[in-house]
Amino acid sequence: MPAKITSWNESRPRERPPPLEDRVSNHRWFTEKMNTVYRENRDFLPLYVQRIAEEKMRNHALEGMRRSHEVMGLMMGGRFEWQGREYALTRDVVTTELEASEYHVRFDHDALEGLFESLDDLDFDYSIVGWYHSHPGIGCFMSDTDISTQEGAFNMAHHSALVLDPVRREMEAYCLRDGKVVIRPMGIYWDLHQDPYRG
Amino acid sequence: MTIEVTIRNAENGSNLNMELEPHTTIEDIIEGAAEFWHKEAGAYVLRRGKKLLKGQSTVMDAGLKNEDVLELIPDPEGG
Repeated sequence: MPAKITSWNESRPRERPPPLEDRVSNHRWFTEKMNTVYRENRDFLPLYVQRIAEEKMRNHALEGMRRSHEVMGLMMGGRFEWQGREYALTRDVVTTELEASEYHVRFDHDALEGLFESLDDLDFDYSIVGWYHSHPGIGCFMSDTDISTQEGAFNMAHHSALVLDPVRREMEAYCLRDGKVVIRPMGIYWDLHQDPYRG
Repeated sequence: MTIEVTIRNAENGSNLNMELEPHTTIEDIIEGAAEFWHKEAGAYVLRRGKKLLKGQSTVMDAGLKNEDVLELIPDPEGG
């Protein structure tokens, strides 16, 4: 019995300047390709990841590595617009128990309530701006399964996929452009007085 | 008796309102919302508060009420 749509409203990206250039950096796990696109787009990046969120994803990937398992989670933040250009901020990440092996990962459906609790605990009005997962020891790339996920659920312009290899200590971000997977330029940002490279 | 619920798209904050019959299934709701937002229905789950709404259950089974707000959440698979 189909559900009948009676009305809708589309949300627009909020107007907000991106993080200041002196609070944005590349990351030591960036591959050469990532560093190249970072340098080319440094003045305005389509994806900024808060350093605490980055640390959580990296630690999660390292924890999975000890069991030779992939890990996964959702990137939470918002989409914004500045001077006619759109970008996404990842302010935090959420995850739950996983069904995982060396080459496969998904949320354990019996543990989704834990994921929902984490969503409710976020202290900002969130959008899911992408997902992350790990490829322990096999390098960063988008497999056929990853591409299906991207096409099925993360096919909007602001959506990204972040892949981490905790064995090789590499990180790459991807997005869909004209139906193809391409590298997404990304930077790590930090808030005022939280410069991770000083003090 | 029909009820009207709001579906929030967690990926961009957009909303849509749906009119549902007591025997409409959760799968029907996900399919309707996914089609509207050009998504793959199988890549999503639906929640009400902290509860996962099971695909085969109906509006009546799930105890959905008028003006409930449900959220569409991606259920990714990596490999």
